[in-house]
Amino acid sequence: MFSKIVRRTHMYLALFLMPWIVMYALSTMAMNHRHFFEEYYGDKEAPLHIERTLVYDGIFPEGASPRQMARQLLLDLELDGTHYVRGGRNGQPLTVWRESLTWIRKITYEPDGQYLKVERREWRTPQMLEEMHRRSGFEHDYTAADLWGVVVDLVIVALVLWVLSGLWMWWELKVTRRWGGICFVGATLLFALFLATI
Amino acid sequence: MTFNHFNRRLHVYLGMALLPWVLMYGLSSLAFSHNRLFDKWFAVEPGWTVLLERPYDRPVPEDADLRQVGAAILADLGLEGGALGTWRPHQRRLNVYRYDFWSNVRVSYHLDEQRLVAEEHRFRWDHFLTGLHARGGYQQDSLLHDGWALVVDLVCIGFLLWSASGLYMWWLLSQTRRWGALALAAGFLAFVLFAFTL
Repeated sequence: MFSKIVRRTHMYLALFLMPWIVMYALSTMAMNHRHFFEEYYGDKEAPLHIERTLVYDGIFPEGASPRQMARQLLLDLELDGTHYVRGGRNGQPLTVWRESLTWIRKITYEPDGQYLKVERREWRTPQMLEEMHRRSGFEHDYTAADLWGVVVDLVIVALVLWVLSGLWMWWELKVTRRWGGICFVGATLLFALFLATI
Repeated sequence: MTFNHFNRRLHVYLGMALLPWVLMYGLSSLAFSHNRLFDKWFAVEPGWTVLLERPYDRPVPEDADLRQVGAAILADLGLEGGALGTWRPHQRRLNVYRYDFWSNVRVSYHLDEQRLVAEEHRFRWDHFLTGLHARGGYQQDSLLHDGWALVVDLVCIGFLLWSASGLYMWWLLSQTRRWGALALAAGFLAFVLFAFTL
């Protein structure tokens, strides 16, 4: 019975988390070969393209902080979601980076003239994969971000469970013990060599 | 050997051979996902200890190859070895990093003051884990570093192969098809939903 529970947990968890596992595998490859992609695209960062410019006629509450101003701008632009803020104090321009798993936007608000510019980062698959890889959650006041963080934690738990349940299942299969053991010992020695030398 | 047999063996042996890396990526992801918590547990003051400070003069043109300059600075200080990284926050300063899994030395070259400061970072277990997790790429001039990057690629391929071989094994088990399909569909839908709402 225990063996069956181990096998089923191993499999169902893998089936549910498969999109994340594929995403983490592809994004890690993109990061491991970042220099190749930088050469391929000719620059490090994908360029931004202006999506729209407008005069913002909204009024901020008296003494609004840059975070409050950013939230109001995002709500008015119907772009609300996880973001981070730069500047915006003492009449300085306010920059809001709207994070996303698909399109990243930069919103710049110039208090002089109430000028608002929305730019969208050009789509580059390797960079979007990196963005997905780096999203961890629990850092923003958005439920969706927290839920993403929960799934990331689930992936972490799953990785450890796959290791433990995989070891259990390997040990149960007598025919694979010798070669599996050789693979495991070889890999552990190689890992230790890397730890000691680089 | 049938394809089914080959597929099962591939799944097991790949798992055994990449087990240390899977475990490492699982545990180290915690340090990223809950970095604030780990910061509370492991933060030590001062984080950096000054190793040396001295006058130094080396021109660094705007279009200089920073890795070459960084390597030359480390050689002048007798700090060769380990992995090398550089960052130029602005024209007046160049940071050179020499690191391995256990230590991290930062050399700050203040070009306008013609002054070098070398500092060593205090060891932290969470940084050790994140260092393991983030290590990759083929930009270091060392066979062992390239070897690590190659294993990182192998782990990525491993995850893709586990996904494919796991799907195949699941499909052959007729009694788990319904719940497996439900888990797979739920994971896929959740991922798509996140992609459009986050």
